[in-house]
Amino acid sequence: MKKKEKIQHLKFEDRFDLTESDLKKILNIALSRGGDFAEIFLEYSIYHLVNMEEDIIKETDESIRLGLGIRVLSGEKTGYGYTNDHSFEKIKKAAQTAAAIASESSLRNAKRFLPQSIPHNYYPILTPAHSARLDTKISIVKSVYSSAQKYDSRIKKIKVSLIDQIQHVKIINSEGLIVTDVRPLIKLVCVAIAEKGQKREIGFFGGGGRVGLEYFKNTLKSEIIGSQAAQEALGLLEAKLPPAGEMPVVLAPGHSGVLIHEAVGHLLEADFIRKKTSVFWNKLGGKVGNDQISIYDDPTIPYFRGSYNVDDEGTIPKKTLLIHKGKLAGFLQDRLSAKLMKKDLTGHGRRQDYTCIPIPRMSNTYMEKGEYSPEEIIKSVQKGLYAQRYQGGQVEDSGKFTFSVSSGFLIENGKITAPVKHATLIGTNIDILNKIEMVGSDLDFGLQTGTCGKGGQEAPVTDGCPTIKISKMTVGGK
Amino acid sequence: MTDEKQTIELMNIAENLVTFGRVHGADEVEVAISEGTEFNVDIRLGEIESLTEAGSKIIGIRVIKDMKTAYATSSDFKKRTLQNLVKSAIYRTTLADADECSGLPPAPEPIPDIDSLDIYDPEIPELDSQKKIKLAKETENIALADPRITNSHGASFETREIQTILANSNGFLQKYNETFCSLSIGLQAGDTDFKVEDYWESSKRHLKSLESPEIIARKAIERTVRHLNPKKIPTKTVPVVFEPLMTSWLLGFLFSCVSGISVYLKASFLTDKMNEKIANEGITIIDDGLIPGKLGTRPFDSEGVPCGKTIVIDKGILRNFLCNSYAARKLKLQSTGNADGAGVGPNNFYLQPGIKTPEEIIASLEEGLILTRTIGHGLNPITGDISRGAFGLWVEKGEIVYPVSEVTISGNLGKILYDITMIGDDLEFLSAFSGPTIKIKELTVSGQ
Repeated sequence: MKKKEKIQHLKFEDRFDLTESDLKKILNIALSRGGDFAEIFLEYSIYHLVNMEEDIIKETDESIRLGLGIRVLSGEKTGYGYTNDHSFEKIKKAAQTAAAIASESSLRNAKRFLPQSIPHNYYPILTPAHSARLDTKISIVKSVYSSAQKYDSRIKKIKVSLIDQIQHVKIINSEGLIVTDVRPLIKLVCVAIAEKGQKREIGFFGGGGRVGLEYFKNTLKSEIIGSQAAQEALGLLEAKLPPAGEMPVVLAPGHSGVLIHEAVGHLLEADFIRKKTSVFWNKLGGKVGNDQISIYDDPTIPYFRGSYNVDDEGTIPKKTLLIHKGKLAGFLQDRLSAKLMKKDLTGHGRRQDYTCIPIPRMSNTYMEKGEYSPEEIIKSVQKGLYAQRYQGGQVEDSGKFTFSVSSGFLIENGKITAPVKHATLIGTNIDILNKIEMVGSDLDFGLQTGTCGKGGQEAPVTDGCPTIKISKMTVGGK
Repeated sequence: MTDEKQTIELMNIAENLVTFGRVHGADEVEVAISEGTEFNVDIRLGEIESLTEAGSKIIGIRVIKDMKTAYATSSDFKKRTLQNLVKSAIYRTTLADADECSGLPPAPEPIPDIDSLDIYDPEIPELDSQKKIKLAKETENIALADPRITNSHGASFETREIQTILANSNGFLQKYNETFCSLSIGLQAGDTDFKVEDYWESSKRHLKSLESPEIIARKAIERTVRHLNPKKIPTKTVPVVFEPLMTSWLLGFLFSCVSGISVYLKASFLTDKMNEKIANEGITIIDDGLIPGKLGTRPFDSEGVPCGKTIVIDKGILRNFLCNSYAARKLKLQSTGNADGAGVGPNNFYLQPGIKTPEEIIASLEEGLILTRTIGHGLNPITGDISRGAFGLWVEKGEIVYPVSEVTISGNLGKILYDITMIGDDLEFLSAFSGPTIKIKELTVSGQ
């Protein structure tokens, strides 16, 4: 075991020309002004892209990201420096920049490194995409493309992209932690445009996760991605704008997880809690919704896009209960917030890349299944909206959120009827949580293609939920 | 100050890689290097929350062989890494398909005088960290002194200094330096369960043109507290006034519909409308990369095509799509100097101002909404459909009567362009997209 770790280290030290004693020196420079904690985050990422549109493989891309960031914590303050120039001088300068945040007289030194081996791997992969042959990837892209094209003659334009990444990270801190993670990530997406007379509509589908290329053979066949995108575009040609106003809304399972992400997840990120900007800051243990509602964030779901073996601060992540039977049960912590709030780490400190400070983020967020069958739920609605697919959502700390429904249906007299498109739903989170009347027994997850933005940083995420009925919500339409 | 020696070194790297690519079989090669420094300080409740200072660089490579294209980028500047990337890109072109529209722009054209563009402020790299911290602290102090403000998202001061170097196998080799600075603050007002929030940011090329901490704090306070105690309203179709930031947001959406890439992909509702009337006569929309000192100003685009002034909509008639050289070939147009990476981006994209003051425009509303902020997605370039969560101020008989929240606005950009009935005189270049206050004849505001 020890030997294996060493090989991993050498790989990084080779890339950066840094020895373990160099790293120790850098940590001590970072602590030289009296910081409480210092950390080095080293990253080596490779990214590939294949793009097909207008019937041709139009371009391919390959990107390399290599760099390191140095962070110093002093009380509530964070100092940060990063560089992709790996001369010891430049790295030292980054460490000094980070160090300058502190001005304490008592000095600490970095503790001895205790290499940490991770007892799990949430993404064991057969055919890693980053080392697969380019022509293999091209043939996958072509199969998506042709399945969309063959689906219907009204499909006029198609774009297919396959993006794969491998991110090697190594985290070293002054408490002796030294840990690595190697994270694969694939996303295969199709955009299809359907035309009928003057009308044009756009459909989208995709999948992936921390998986290998075998995923598109065994789990989500590449042809399905093309035909689903085509099907959505064609469906929208026949869809009308929904009526505007307040009405009951039934959220389809899986894709509607974006509601959980926006309306609940963000506002339970611990930085918003400790700063008291989140509407939830004073509600721990309190009732915030109906008994049927339990919500988790779980970075340990194998192969999921939002999963990781360790977070970007080197913490082993835990499945975290956020809402338990309607009561607020927990927050998503990073190191700084956990320390300031005197709470346990949950392993939700994430960063986009080495240029960014880690912050509390979601991973895979979902609402636990309930008791009602989806049929009973739909049957209970006289007149309302069935929201099926989404363009995305947004929330602010006050709890006001929106999400954009790209396609759905009307519900009339307990039955799903005419297709509708482009509706915006808006609400305030605590209000909506209280208006969730029924939770279905059919938990599912959305597409493995989602990216969440916060503070200018992007992170891959997944969300999910069962069928949910909201008694009343404002729907924007015609 | 930028380091002369480093600049020469980077220019050599770019030139040598172009040659290396040609020698190894590429027909055309383009190398772009962006090198810069960043400073950012966040202040919250009077204390430094975080301070980041760093230098970094990135290189972008495009190779074309037999009309097949491959791209590469790297933040690792080791010679071996870069040469391997070029070789691998040349190999990757063999697996792509030939595309007759691919390729670099034709022979380089003279570029505008960089100094007269006024996009570099030598004061910025010289500015002391303590002064930057002080500016952010002052801004927050002023805001927190207002009793109506109940919490702060913090104030930030940021500076960036960037050097761009571009070389290609048609003999182009140029560089320019630019600076940015910004001072911003986000605030909350109201009690926990009834919070409202907003922010203000001043973002400029030059320190001397930044708004003062006092002005930024006052604007952020005003923007926040005006949303306190909102009401819900019934669904209604009413005239809507867009504040300048909202006009800019609308222009961002319009940009995605006049981008040559959306057009050749038929992903824009304006695809077949060249030289047709698409807006009322009052509407003139321009993209201009050469206005001195503005945020979207630059001498040449990411392919080395000189930036210029392009009239996109001239008194209601669609006159141009904004193109990089690829989209231009696709559409049989000229590149407009809007290449941005592998895509198309704005320079300074703005709506020509009118003669009405914002006050006159608001006073003209018998009943309607002033749109102050939107959240969410809900823009569809293919149809022009807009559907967004909205915040605003309700107006009756020309007077603001109360704030509204939890509404959505919906409409269609194609129709809105005809329905802009008043245009304000208050154009300011606040970002790459800029517009004055405007009045739209009617939009659906969905509420209860």
